[in-house]
Amino acid sequence: MIFSPVAVLLLAASAVQASVLTLQSPKFVVTDALGSQLRAEPFSLVHRTGTPVKLEAKDTLKITFQVVDKEDGKGVQPHQTFIRFFDPSTGEEGIQPIRVTGGGKAKFELNPSKPPLYLPPTSTEPLKVSLIIGTPNYDPITVRLFDLILPASQPAPTHPDEASFHVRPELHHTFRPDQKLPPKAVSLFFAGLTFAPWVVLIGLWSQVTPRLTHLFSPSILPFILSLVAFESLLLTYWVKLRLGEVLLYGAGLGLVTIFTGRQALSSISSLRKD
Amino acid sequence: MFGFRRWCLLALSAASLLCVDAKSSTGDSVLVVVDPNNQDKYSLFFDGLKDSGYKLTFRSPKAEKPVVIADDVPNFDHVILLAPEARNLGKDITPQSIVQLLSLNTNVIVTLPTKQSPLHSLAAEFGLILPPPGSPLISYFPQRDTPSSLIPIPVEDHSSPALTKHIEPVWFSGIPQALSTNPLLIPILRAPAESFASETLVTSGSADALVESAEKGGEGLWAGSALNAVTGFQATNGARIAFVGGAEVFSDELAQKEVAPYVKSGNADFSREVAAWTFQENLVLRIDGVEHHLAHENSTVAKEQYTNNDNVVFSAYVSKWDAKQGKWEPYSGLKDLQLEFTMLDPFIRTALPPVRATPGKYSTTFRAPDRHGVFKFIVDYKRKGWTSLQSSTTVPVVPPRHDGYPRFLSAAWPYYAGAISTSVAFLLFSTAWLAGEARDRSSRKAKGSKAE
Repeated sequence: MIFSPVAVLLLAASAVQASVLTLQSPKFVVTDALGSQLRAEPFSLVHRTGTPVKLEAKDTLKITFQVVDKEDGKGVQPHQTFIRFFDPSTGEEGIQPIRVTGGGKAKFELNPSKPPLYLPPTSTEPLKVSLIIGTPNYDPITVRLFDLILPASQPAPTHPDEASFHVRPELHHTFRPDQKLPPKAVSLFFAGLTFAPWVVLIGLWSQVTPRLTHLFSPSILPFILSLVAFESLLLTYWVKLRLGEVLLYGAGLGLVTIFTGRQALSSISSLRKD
Repeated sequence: MFGFRRWCLLALSAASLLCVDAKSSTGDSVLVVVDPNNQDKYSLFFDGLKDSGYKLTFRSPKAEKPVVIADDVPNFDHVILLAPEARNLGKDITPQSIVQLLSLNTNVIVTLPTKQSPLHSLAAEFGLILPPPGSPLISYFPQRDTPSSLIPIPVEDHSSPALTKHIEPVWFSGIPQALSTNPLLIPILRAPAESFASETLVTSGSADALVESAEKGGEGLWAGSALNAVTGFQATNGARIAFVGGAEVFSDELAQKEVAPYVKSGNADFSREVAAWTFQENLVLRIDGVEHHLAHENSTVAKEQYTNNDNVVFSAYVSKWDAKQGKWEPYSGLKDLQLEFTMLDPFIRTALPPVRATPGKYSTTFRAPDRHGVFKFIVDYKRKGWTSLQSSTTVPVVPPRHDGYPRFLSAAWPYYAGAISTSVAFLLFSTAWLAGEARDRSSRKAKGSKAE
C-alpha cells in the first residue's frame, strides 16, 4: 500500500506536536517576621499579578507550585526551572534555579534579611520577576509573574577605572577675587589734597612775580630744554619704556646735558661775578 | 555562447575585484589557524575577507610554520584561531605568546573550545569567566526543531558599540562567557535571557545538578542575559582581541540557515562585523596634533610659557579611519571630548567641542589658574569599543613679570599727582633760578659802598 502524502503529513504532525506543561496550584505567600501572612495569592501563567509585591527587611516570600503535564496531569521535573529577577533601568539581572522534586513539586523562598548572592542591586524601579521553565520534548514556558519591591541595597560594585570611560564632571578653578579698589571719589579727593601746596605757591607767586630775564638767552635755554627732556624721559619710562632703553636714551641725553649745563652754569657764574 | 549564469558569475567576480570593501588601519596580512579538513566549512567567511583586500595565509594546527612571532617581531597583522577542537595549536601559539601579540599591536580572533584547553586560561587573563568544561550554552527558547545547543540570538540595534549596522538573528553554538567588571571588555553578542550553560545530555539528575551548582556559591550558575556569546577586549595600546564562544558562528551552514521563513540568518554579516571591529577597521581614532596659543592675539604660534590668568586656546585635531576609502579622515563626531589642565591633579576639566568651520578640530578657551607651576594639557578619551585617545603637552605657567601686573590704578592717583607735581616744581624752580635775575649785584654794591 502506498502511503498517501496526506497520511504521512498527519503522522508527522502528531509526532511533532510537543506536549504542554502547566502549573498546578501555583501560589505565593508573603509572611512577616512573626509568621503572620501579609499576602497570599495564587498567580497564573496567563495574566500577570497587577499589584507589585512589597517585601520589607524581615519578611519572607514563598512561592510554591507543581509542574504537571497538561494532558495526563503527571508531575514532571523540568531540566530548567529558573526564577529571574530583572531590573530594566540598570540592566542588572539575577537568575536562580528552583529546586523541583521528581514529582514536579517546586518551592522557592526569599528572605531579604539573608540576601542571596544572585539578587541584583535595587534601583528606583521594581524588579520584574519571571518564571522560565524549559525541558526537552515540552513547550517551553517563560512568563512574567509580578513586580517585586525590595528594601534598598548598595549599588553594584564597579571597577575603579569605570568612571574614566564616561564623561567626567567638569572642574573649575576658583580664582582669587579681583583686587578691590577704593572708590574713585576718595582717590580724587586725596589727589586734590596733594595739589594743596600748588595753591600756596601760586598764591605767593601772585605777590612776588619772579622775573625770567635770561630765559631765552642762547646759553641758558638749551640747558633748560635738556632738563625738560630728562623729565619727559622719566615720564616716558614710567609709561612704556624698559630699563635698557631708558639707560640708552639717558646716556645720550646726559652727554648733551653735560655740554649745555657747563655752558649755562659758566655763563651764570660769569654773570654773577661781575 | 556563454550561458546566462556564466555571464552573471563573470560580472560578479569583476565587480568584487573592482570594489575593495573595507580595509584595516593596521595592515592586510592575516594568519588563519584552521584544520585543513574544515577549511571549506568557512569558505563564505574567508571569501568575504579576501574580497575586502585581506591576504589570508592558512596554517594547520599541527604545522609549525609560518610562525606568528619571530625575534619579537610579528609576522602577520591579524591572527584568527579557528581550530577549537585541536588539542594544541603549535609551539608558538600559547597564551603568553597571544598576549605578546597583542602588545605588539596584532589583533586576534579566538574561538573557544567546549572542552578544557589552554585558551581557557587565556580567557581568564582577560577577565572572562568560563563555565566548566563540557557545558555549552543551551536554550529551550524559542521553540524550534534544532537541538537546544544551537540557539538563534536576536541582535538589538546599538546593543554593542562594535556592531555598526542592523543584523538579523544569529545562530550560535558554543560556550558563554561571564564578564568581570573590567571596563576594557566589550560585549558584542549577549546571550538570551532564557539561556544557560549545561551539559547537552539531559538526564534525570540534570535539574538537581543545576540547583546544586547554583547553591555552591561563587560562579555557580551561568545563565541569563549577563552572559555573552561573543566578547571583545580593547587593549590600552589599541590592539583588539575577540573571544567567540564557538567556531560555528563563522560557518557557511549557519550563514545560510534561515531564522524565520524566508529570512536568512545574520551570521555572515555578524562574522564580517566581528572581523571589522577586531581588525581595526571600525571605531578607530587618532589624534593628528594639538596646538595651544593665547586667546587675544591674532597669531597662532604656541607660547613657550603662559602667565597666571591668561586666556588660553587649546585645539586638538582628531581623525577617524575610513575603512571604505582606506585612509584617515578628519572626524568631528565626538560629542564628549574633554580637556584637563593638570598639575599633579586636574585643576580644570572642560568640554572640548568640535569647531563647525574645520572638520576634525576641537577647540576651547579657558583661563589659566592663578597658581604658577608646570601644567599639562591632557586629552584622555576612552570609550567602550573605540580606540583611546591620549595626548599630553607640558607647558609652564609663570607668575606675572614686574610689569605684568595691572597698572595705573585709580587708588594710585594721589601718588601720581604728588610725583608729577614734584617733577614740575623742580623744572619750574630750576628755570626760575637759571633764568632769573641775580640781585646780589645791586645789594653787594650797596653793601660794599656802605662798608667803605
